[in-house]
Amino acid sequence: MFYIAIFFQYVAQYMKTRMQYRADLFVEIFSDLLFQAVNLIFILVVFGHTNLLGGWTRDEIIFIYGFFLVPYALFSSFFNIWNFNERYIVKGELDRILTRPIHSLFQIVLERMELESLFGAVTGIAVMIYAGNNLGLGFSWTDPFLFFLFVIGGMLVYGGIFVLIACISFWADARTSIMPMMYNIGNYGRYPVDIYNSVIRFVLTWVLPFAFVGVYPASYFLGKEEWFLYSFLTPVIGIVFFSISIVTWNSGVKRYRGAGN
Amino acid sequence: MTDAITVRNLKKEFKAYSSRSGLKGAFRDLLTRNYKIVPAVNNISFQVKQGEMVGYIGENGAGKSTTIKMLTGILTPTSGEVIVNGMNPHKDREKFVRTIGVVFGQRSQLWWDIAVQESFRLLKKVYKVTDEQYDSHMSHVIKTLDIEPLLDKPVRKLSLGQRMRCELAAALIHNPPLLFLDEPTIGLDVLVKLKIREFLKEINDKYNTTILLTTHDLSDIEALCERVVMLDEGKIIYDGALKSLKEKWGEGKEIEFQFLEDVTLNDLNRITASSEVKWEKDEKKAIFTAFAEDNDELISLLIAKVVADLKVKDIDIKETSTEEIIRNIYDRGIS
Amino acid sequence: MDKYIEMIRIRFLMMLAYRTNYYTGILIYSINIGAYYFLWSAIYGEKDAIEGMSVIQMSTYVAVAWMARAFYFNNIDREMAAEIKEGKVAVELIRPYNYLGMKTMQGLGEGIFRLFFFSVPGMVIVSFIFPLQFSADWTTWIFFAVSIVLSFFINTQINLLTGITTFFLFNNTGLIRAKRVVIDLFSGLLIPISFFPLWAQDVLKYLPFQGISYVPSMIFTNSFSNNEAIQAIIMQGIWVLILIIPIQVLWIIAKKQLIIQGG
Ligand SMILES: Nc1ncnc2c1ncn2[C@@H]1O[C@H](COP(=O)(O)OP(=O)(O)OP(=O)(O)O)[C@@H](O)[C@H]1O
Ligand SMILES: [Mg+2]
Repeated sequence: MFYIAIFFQYVAQYMKTRMQYRADLFVEIFSDLLFQAVNLIFILVVFGHTNLLGGWTRDEIIFIYGFFLVPYALFSSFFNIWNFNERYIVKGELDRILTRPIHSLFQIVLERMELESLFGAVTGIAVMIYAGNNLGLGFSWTDPFLFFLFVIGGMLVYGGIFVLIACISFWADARTSIMPMMYNIGNYGRYPVDIYNSVIRFVLTWVLPFAFVGVYPASYFLGKEEWFLYSFLTPVIGIVFFSISIVTWNSGVKRYRGAGN
Repeated sequence: MTDAITVRNLKKEFKAYSSRSGLKGAFRDLLTRNYKIVPAVNNISFQVKQGEMVGYIGENGAGKSTTIKMLTGILTPTSGEVIVNGMNPHKDREKFVRTIGVVFGQRSQLWWDIAVQESFRLLKKVYKVTDEQYDSHMSHVIKTLDIEPLLDKPVRKLSLGQRMRCELAAALIHNPPLLFLDEPTIGLDVLVKLKIREFLKEINDKYNTTILLTTHDLSDIEALCERVVMLDEGKIIYDGALKSLKEKWGEGKEIEFQFLEDVTLNDLNRITASSEVKWEKDEKKAIFTAFAEDNDELISLLIAKVVADLKVKDIDIKETSTEEIIRNIYDRGIS
Repeated sequence: MDKYIEMIRIRFLMMLAYRTNYYTGILIYSINIGAYYFLWSAIYGEKDAIEGMSVIQMSTYVAVAWMARAFYFNNIDREMAAEIKEGKVAVELIRPYNYLGMKTMQGLGEGIFRLFFFSVPGMVIVSFIFPLQFSADWTTWIFFAVSIVLSFFINTQINLLTGITTFFLFNNTGLIRAKRVVIDLFSGLLIPISFFPLWAQDVLKYLPFQGISYVPSMIFTNSFSNNEAIQAIIMQGIWVLILIIPIQVLWIIAKKQLIIQGG
C-alpha cells in the first residue's frame, strides 16, 4: 500500500518536471516513434523480397512486433537502468538511495522512470489492430485478460534480465557496456524462433528469454497452437526471472563498495 | 540511558587494484590485475550514548566516511558488530534508516532537478511523516536555518552553503533521534557555519538528538562536541573528552612579550636562567615568545622575573590551540 | 600533433580498463551476427540470390557490417552533451587544442582499440561458426581499409554535429537516440541499401549515411566491382569534406553563444 502511494507521489513529481520541458518531451516521443518506424521498415523491406519468413506471413510478423512494443514500452518506462553502473556505482549515488526507507531497486525505478515511453504501447496496439485486421483474427472475451497477463509477464522478463545485468556492477570491478548490446539481442525475440538454430532458440527461450516478450505470447493470439504451451509459460518465466533478479540484487547491494569520495 | 551506537571490532577491507604503468602494463592488466587488500577501518570499537555529540576526526583517508557508511547501512562490514538504535543497519535496512538522518557534505542527498520544497514533500511521504508533525517541526527548522526563500528553487541552482542548509533540513524531516554528518561544513562561509552549529546545538537540546560528526574544521568540534574520537589509518587512537585531549597533549603555553626597551635573547635567557624556558624572537615585530610548560606557578614566576628586570609594553598568554595539538598528533603519532 | 597522438594513447588505456567488455562483447556480437545470419537464411529460403547477393555474401555482409561498426562507432556525442551540460566544456575550450579535433582523436583511439581487440578476433571466431567468404584479392582489402577509415570520419562528423546541438537544445538525448536509430537503418547496417525500394535508394544516394556501413561492407563482400568501389570511396571522401562546413559553422555559433551565456 505504502509503495503504491509513494509510486503516485513520484509520478506526480515526474509530471511536474516533465511539463517544464515540453519540447524535450516531444523530441523524445518523436524519437521513440522513429525507432518503432525503423523496425517496421525493416520488416516491410524484407518482405519486399520474400512472402514467407520460416512459414510466417508478413502480417503475422508485424503482429508479433506490435505485441512486442507493449511490454517493451512498459519496460522502458520503468526500467531505465542502462547506465546504472556509471550513475549509481561510479558516482556513488547509491549511497543516497541506501539511506532512504524504500527498497533500493524500487527507488531507482521511481527515480528513473520515463513515462513518455508508454506511448510505445499505443503504437503497439495500433500495429496489432492493423495486422490483426489484415489477418482477420477473431476476438474472444478472454483475450484482454490474457493480453494483460502476457504483457506483464513480458515486462518482467525484460526487467529481470536487465536488473541481472545491472547487478554485474556489484561484483565486477571493471566497467562494462554489455547493456547497450543486450538491447540488440532483445530484438531477436520478435521473430519466430523456429528460424534460428537450436542453440540460439535455447538461449532465447531459457537463458535470455526474450522470445517470451514477442513471438511466444503473440503466437497465442495468432492461433499458432504448437506454441500455446510457451504462450502460457510467459507469466511464469516473467515471475521466475524477475524473482531471481531481485534476490541477486539484494545480495549485490550487500556487496556494494561505495565510491570513495 | 541506552546506547545509540555500539560498535565492536568493526572492520572494513577494500580491494585496491593497482594499474601497471604505461601501455604495456595496461595490456598485462587485461589478463591479470594486481590488487592488495587495504583495511580502511581496522578493528574499531566504541559506543555513543543517546544525546551525545561526538566529533569523529582524523586525517584524509583515515576511514571516517567508511565508518559512517557502515553505521548508516550503506556498506556491509567485513567483520565486526554494529548496533545502531538497537538494530543491525544491514539487516532491516528499510526499517533502520527511518531512525537516522544522514548528510554527506560532498554529495547531494536531494533531487537535483526539482524545487527544494518538492524534495521535502516527497521525503515527507517517503518517511511517512504526518502533516501535523511536519508543520510543527519543519516550520521551525526552516526558520532557524533561514531557507524559506530557497524553497522554490531547484537544487542545482543553489550555492553550496544554501544547498547544505537544505540538505540538513531534509535530513531532519522525520526528526530522527540520530544524525550522521560527514563534513557538513565543508566549503561554507563563517556565518553559515555558525548558523549550522547553533542549529545543531539547538536540536540536540530540544530533542536530545545524538549527533556523530566528521569534519576537518576543528572549531566545529570545539563548538559542538564534548567528546572526540580520533582515527588514524583505520584505528582509533583517541576516544575521550576534548578537554583532556588538550590537557594531555597541549604542549605548554606560549607567552608573548613586547618591551619598551631594546632587549636581546641573551638578556632574556640570563634573566630566566633558573626556569625551563625556551625563548624565540620574531625579528620583524620585536615580539619575544617564551615557551614554557603548562604550569601556573612556573608561568607566574617567569612573568614576575621578566617584569622585575625589563620594561614591558604588552604581555599575551596563549594556550596551544586544538588545531596545533591535532596537527602534532597527525605529524608525530600519539605515543 | 603529439598531443593528439597522446590522446589516442590515453583513450587506448581507458578502453583497456573496460576489460569485462571484451570477454562478453565478442560473445554478444557473435550472438548478434548469428541471429541475423539465421534471419537472413530464413528470408532467402529457397532463393539463391536477392538483388545479386548470395546468402553467403549476405552473411559475410552482416558479419563485417557489425564488426566494422565496432570500429566507427563511438559515443562522443553523448560525451560532448555531458561535458557541455556539466560546464566542463568551458575548461576544455581554454586548453591549447582544438576541442573537436581532440574528440575525433578520442573516437579514433577507441576505434583502433576495438578494431584490434574486438573486431579482428571476433571476426575470426565468427568465421569458424558461420560460412563467411573472405576475398583473396588484395585490392579489395585496400579498398576496404580506405573505406572504413572514411566511414569512421563520416560517422564521427555526424556525432560531432549532434553533440554540438547540445548548445542549442536543453536536452538532446532524444535527438542522439533518433540519430543512432536512423544511422543503423539508413547506413545499411541492418539491410543493404540495394534491398530498399528504388525510390528510397534514390533518396539515400543524396545522404551521407550509406558511406558509413553500406560502402565498406559491399566492398568487403566483393559485391561492388572495382569501378563501383572507387566511385563509392570518392563519394565518401566528398561527404567527409562537405560535412566539415556545417560543423565549423555550428561550432562558431556555439562558441559565441558560450561566451555570451558563460557556459
Ligand atoms: N569504494 C572504495 N574502494 C576502495 N577503497 C576505498 C573505497 N572507499 C574508501 N576507500 C579507501 O579507504 C580509506 C578510507 O577512506 P575514507 O573515505 O573512509 O576516508 P576519510 O577518513 O573519510 O577521509 P577524508 O577526510 O578524506 O574524507 C582510504 O584509504 C580510501 O582510499
Ligand atoms: Mg570522508
